[in-house]
Amino acid sequence: MEETVGPSEMIVHLGPQHPMMPGPFRLNAKLRGETVVDSEVEIGWIHKGIEKILENKTYLQGITIVDRICYLEALTNEEAYVGCVEKLAGIEVPERAQYIRVIMEEFSRIQSHLLGMGEYASFVGFVSMFMYTIRDREDVLTLMDSVTGARVTHSFLRFGGVKDDLPEGFKDNVKYVFGNLRKAIDQYEELYSTDSIYKSRTVGVGVLTADVAKDIGVSGPPLRATGVAFDIRKDEPYLVYADLDFKVCTQKAGDVYARIQVRLDEMRESMYIIEQCLDQIPSGPLFPEGTPYGKRSPVMRIPAGEVFHRVEAPRGEMGFYMVSDGSDKPYRVKVRGPVYPTLQTLPPLLKGVSVADIVAIAGSMDTCTSEVDR
Amino acid sequence: MNAKSIIASLTSKFPEEVYDADIESDIRTVAKVKPDNVVDVCRYLKEDLSFGHLCCESAVDYPGRNEIEVVYIIGSYEHPVILTMKAILPRENPVIESVVPVYWNANWYERETYELFGVKYLNHPDLKPLVLPIEMLGEWPLRKDYQGFPNKTAKNLV
Repeated sequence: MEETVGPSEMIVHLGPQHPMMPGPFRLNAKLRGETVVDSEVEIGWIHKGIEKILENKTYLQGITIVDRICYLEALTNEEAYVGCVEKLAGIEVPERAQYIRVIMEEFSRIQSHLLGMGEYASFVGFVSMFMYTIRDREDVLTLMDSVTGARVTHSFLRFGGVKDDLPEGFKDNVKYVFGNLRKAIDQYEELYSTDSIYKSRTVGVGVLTADVAKDIGVSGPPLRATGVAFDIRKDEPYLVYADLDFKVCTQKAGDVYARIQVRLDEMRESMYIIEQCLDQIPSGPLFPEGTPYGKRSPVMRIPAGEVFHRVEAPRGEMGFYMVSDGSDKPYRVKVRGPVYPTLQTLPPLLKGVSVADIVAIAGSMDTCTSEVDR
Repeated sequence: MNAKSIIASLTSKFPEEVYDADIESDIRTVAKVKPDNVVDVCRYLKEDLSFGHLCCESAVDYPGRNEIEVVYIIGSYEHPVILTMKAILPRENPVIESVVPVYWNANWYERETYELFGVKYLNHPDLKPLVLPIEMLGEWPLRKDYQGFPNKTAKNLV
């Protein structure tokens, strides 16, 4: 962005600490009156150096570190990381463990969408929605807590399996929570679709076209809201997703309203997936039998090689590129987060909108700066 | 379009420039490319082989071989094949052409690779640090010989 300003223009710095921001990033917006002429995103306020940290930790210690990339996506981050190691070492995950992973990752999708939607609603001035979604998210987190022992940073996956089995009576608890959650999601949809003020602020605002989104490398709900049915769970199935019945939720419009609608539909689809898994889940071991892999994996040396493994995180495509040199620590890990490209859509999308719409557009992207900076 | 036909098409179009091309599995392919031709190869991948999705771009440091590998992981929205393409640069002066004209979102990946590894990108629209403070430019923290403490940036803090 040009730093020079013309007559009747000014530069407004939004952030890094700003109530509308989901994390610390700075948006430098050049304004002419109320209209954004140009803008630029600056990041780096919470750069944690996770890629360097991972090079200095053993493979098992890395599981805890990748949780901290973004706490809402903790389980899908673990899945991508653990999947890399399993591909390199050639570990086969038993079927029961795969089902448990799918159940937990779909739970993490539901709670991430609930929080993202609630935050976004509070940005556009719909603060009571935030209270509703946080209330329902708490029930989901309690269910996850009963399996993993933690609400947000789980450290639940292990190489070749999962740490714990599902607890007693889990299916009944899920049934009870989903009964309430289904009603709540229907209620959110009704609130969103009947509020004329909300609709006039979101319909046709911040339209991302499919061509631009593909060019920028966007994935996840912002891309699916433009009509592109791109979902790693379908295109490159991992775990048992190939055996499950679910559809990829898409919308045509590509505006703020469509992005929220995609998230609402995805939560319903995730609940459907979890119910299928709970019906189909076979009994069996949690770790491959006859191997040293288990709850307390010894220090492992992974065969030299390199791998790129990607999974569908709540916000889109999460990929890990891992290079191993045969030692007990990864030689290089590159984290490809879904929000990194999504945040780059802001400058082209904000061109020409009014200041009040910045919040709606940035919020509907459901960005996570912690994951962008790493 | 499957992995086999993609590799065959790529190697027949660029017999000199692309080497060590291989198929790892149905959906994973690898290839190495000469640094001077990386933009041409990327353009061909995007326009003719529908590799329109740059998953990520980064680098790996190999002090033993005195090389830095720039890694492009390129996927597609149409087919599930992913190509891991590498360009090998000397460690003292790693310079390579930027692929921003082809892949728009390479912009941030290249800025990050520049500040973490010191790979200089020619014709990049705005090559400046992204996640690190400007004073750390020249430290190249993700290189293997980075010492961290006691570095001049760290000294300033104490």
